[in-house]
Amino acid sequence: MLPLMVAGGIFTVIIGFVIVVLFISWFSNPPFGLGNAAAQPVDFPHTVHVEQHGIQCEFCHRNVTKGDGATVPAVEQCLFCHKDISGRDGEAQAEIAEVQRFFQDEEPINWERVHRVPDHVRFVHEAHIRFFTSDLDEEGVSGPRFDINGIEVSRPYTIAETCSICHGDVGNMEEVQPKDGQSLKMGTCLDCHRMNNVPTDCTVCHK
Amino acid sequence: MKLTRRHFLAWAGLGALGAVACEGFGIREGELNIQSPVNLPEDLVRGKDNWYASLCRTCPSCEGILVRVMEGRAKKVQGNPLYPTNQGKSHARCEAGVQALYHPDRIPGAMRRGGNRGSGQFDPIDWEPQAMDTLIRQLNDRGSRAVMITRPNRGHLGLLTSRFANAVGAEHLNYEPVDNNAYRRAVKDVFQQDVLPDFDLDRANVILSFGADFLSTWISPTRWNRGFGEFRQGEGRDHRGTLYHVDSRFSMTAANADRWIPIRPGWEGHLAMSVAQVIIAEGLQGRTVDVDALLGEGGRALLDRFRPEDVVGRAGITPEIAGGDPVEFVRDIARKFATEGPSIAIAGGSAGAQSNGLFNVEAALLLNWLVDNVGSTGGVVPNPLGPWGSVPSTAQSASLVDFERLADQIRSGETRMLLLHNVDPVFGLPGSLKLRDAIVSAQDLFIVSFSPFIDDTTALADLLLPDRVYLEDWGDDIPDPGPGYQVAGIQQPVVNPLWELDPRSFPDVLLAAADGMGAGEDELPWRSYQAMLRESADSLFEMNRGSIEAATKEEFWTSLLRRGGWWDEAQGGPGGINPSRGLIREILERASEPTFAGFDGGSTLYLVPFSHNTLQDGDNAHLPWLQATPDPVTSITWQTWVELNDTTADRYGIREGDVVRIDSSQGSIRAIAYPNPATPPDIVSVPFGGGRRHGSAWATDRPGIESSNVAEILEPTRVAGPETLAWAGTKVTITRTDDSINLSKLEGNARAVEVGLSAAEEIIKTVAPGVK
Repeated sequence: MLPLMVAGGIFTVIIGFVIVVLFISWFSNPPFGLGNAAAQPVDFPHTVHVEQHGIQCEFCHRNVTKGDGATVPAVEQCLFCHKDISGRDGEAQAEIAEVQRFFQDEEPINWERVHRVPDHVRFVHEAHIRFFTSDLDEEGVSGPRFDINGIEVSRPYTIAETCSICHGDVGNMEEVQPKDGQSLKMGTCLDCHRMNNVPTDCTVCHK
Repeated sequence: MKLTRRHFLAWAGLGALGAVACEGFGIREGELNIQSPVNLPEDLVRGKDNWYASLCRTCPSCEGILVRVMEGRAKKVQGNPLYPTNQGKSHARCEAGVQALYHPDRIPGAMRRGGNRGSGQFDPIDWEPQAMDTLIRQLNDRGSRAVMITRPNRGHLGLLTSRFANAVGAEHLNYEPVDNNAYRRAVKDVFQQDVLPDFDLDRANVILSFGADFLSTWISPTRWNRGFGEFRQGEGRDHRGTLYHVDSRFSMTAANADRWIPIRPGWEGHLAMSVAQVIIAEGLQGRTVDVDALLGEGGRALLDRFRPEDVVGRAGITPEIAGGDPVEFVRDIARKFATEGPSIAIAGGSAGAQSNGLFNVEAALLLNWLVDNVGSTGGVVPNPLGPWGSVPSTAQSASLVDFERLADQIRSGETRMLLLHNVDPVFGLPGSLKLRDAIVSAQDLFIVSFSPFIDDTTALADLLLPDRVYLEDWGDDIPDPGPGYQVAGIQQPVVNPLWELDPRSFPDVLLAAADGMGAGEDELPWRSYQAMLRESADSLFEMNRGSIEAATKEEFWTSLLRRGGWWDEAQGGPGGINPSRGLIREILERASEPTFAGFDGGSTLYLVPFSHNTLQDGDNAHLPWLQATPDPVTSITWQTWVELNDTTADRYGIREGDVVRIDSSQGSIRAIAYPNPATPPDIVSVPFGGGRRHGSAWATDRPGIESSNVAEILEPTRVAGPETLAWAGTKVTITRTDDSINLSKLEGNARAVEVGLSAAEEIIKTVAPGVK
């Protein structure tokens, strides 16, 4: 009787573990965040920088139109402006002072990732930006094109509009969070590639 | 279910196991971080590489390079296709530049000696004020009795170091362990040139080389390898050229020769004169050559003592080597050299490192005059001086006499300060000078080393002021030899200096020290080394000639950096050079047989050391890539080996891998035996570069790796004339020890089997092209 109970216990634990892993993997967006990004080391309100001051996405995310990763800016780039701009209220001033401290102490800032694709996936920002910002009949875009939710993109998007397809309206986010209700799973990629008549071979995306 | 104690323990165990599993399968800390680096260099764009032109400093030829930089880090070095000397090619040594930059054994900032001299204990100090104050105070106290030892630096660094030494009252000595002083002196005597000539190998038909391993390590091997490629199979050539290589050792150049002539060490000059005798006796000299003027009064009688029949026996050219009658063999070489030109005679290396080395090299270079190829197509190409009058275009090492005097001065207390930059004389000078003992026992000696790495001399220093490595620093070079016209290469920092190491540019430290002492205000007016270079670049701009067209100085500077240098093909070497009257007689009056100090007798062997293909004289021994690069002839890596003939090995009962003790009258070293049929029976060869005692683990003699310094056992024989070290003038004995280890080599691991040797393989051969 006892061995049977022990075996049953082990089986239950293993099955439970597998279920928990699958549950987290499927519903987390980004992974393991269950819909909410972790707190960042410094508050960076995109509302102030993008909406109020009109800074373009690619000014800070310098590589987004050039290569694979969009990249986050160096601390030195924050100091382009924040050498002089110290913030309008106490809360902002404290956050900016923290950024200045990072620079003076020669300490990098470790941001928490909000969006992430698995390690075995190669996602090239540059190619996607180019696809949606090009005129039709350019860059191999021959027919109607659609975004990941099936909405037709009949005119060339701006870079900011293209970013918002996957990332949402980041410019209006006080704190960056994944786009509400937006799946960024393999199926989403495949659907979009099929709608736009783009190759779906494994090696197009997988390393 | 009733919960018993047993059930409780079982469930608790399973729970713990599950917790461990969950933790183990979790995400590593930082995995989901994305980092904003602190600084934003111009090139910090992920996925985008940037290429910068600069100069390589891993060997004296100083090739033009391009460095690939990604995200602020240097990744790859390759040849600069625009740079006139190496034209896009690069040596394996250049590739290892990035390893020097990111080497874990770089000295981390300024340090001072913490224990007894030679203990290797150093304590960190701040550059300001401690390190600089100490330097300035010691220079004030001891400058007039200081000796500054640097590499033979050409260009602005040469100018700055010599002016600094003048300003503080110090003596300045250039040093390189395997120098070319005999060759430089011969160039001066034979061609009346201060800078070295180039060789137009591309368009030559016959090359006669004496001792110069110009395809591996001699002076400018990358340039000459490129030329040799053209010589063999250049576009438009209807035949391969013919290379004769006269050398006691089977070197890389010997391996590529059509005929390798393994001559007895020190007899190269006699053979060259024999070739000259045949050319003149048979009237084969160039049409415009005035033989009587060349011979001078009594020259013909002197030359006739060098008939092939009088030379071949003493030079060790046997019928087996000649493949027939040795006398006729030498005559054939002379005829081919004189009649199937353009022909070039090259000499140096071991031929110049004998007691009669100057005669050997001059006799060989003389052959160029006989075929009238100086300044002509496929011949010797004289080089001009650099574009700036005050900046040295050439530099040569001090003589052995100078260093013997230095050792005596240290012993007597006359020299009270040493300033060392990228030199390791304790390692490289012959053991007979006992420089290490002199330094250790000196009562009042202060040593400052500017080397970025610990070496045998730096380990004895009192103050370490680590220089930047060349990928972090400014510099320039006037190639010596140049490509036949004026060239000024520029070296720029391709990355920021590694801040955690805090190295400081050696020339900038000298300028700051001179400024702190109030010395040399007129001679050293620059605020930085970069400013000095910029000033010279501006003067180049004002010359308004050469490869860079620019409207402003700023544009000129940018273009200079982008191309890696400036050159002016219209400014060639001096034309109309003629040999001095009686040149042959002058050279023959210096003729002598080689002498070997120390051991003598039937059981002794000639020791012919050679520059290691990548480590050279040991300067690169701390770079593991270069340790792991197989020697091109033996394929050996990491270890110090001794090449000896199979029959010699049999005589001593030595097999491959046996550790052999090599004794001279100056001491003994150990090396791993590499018997082979190509080493002449009375010769053993050992590479320079191994056996450092201090510093990086890759350079020192580690357990299980036989790594020995052959310089320790060299006799202090001098080359008559330049009085430099005759490093090939030592005789040794060898003894088998009881130790044996595997040679670390590629050769022999994969068997070479000719197709068709196996009975199972049925193949049909065809005839070679051109064979009927």
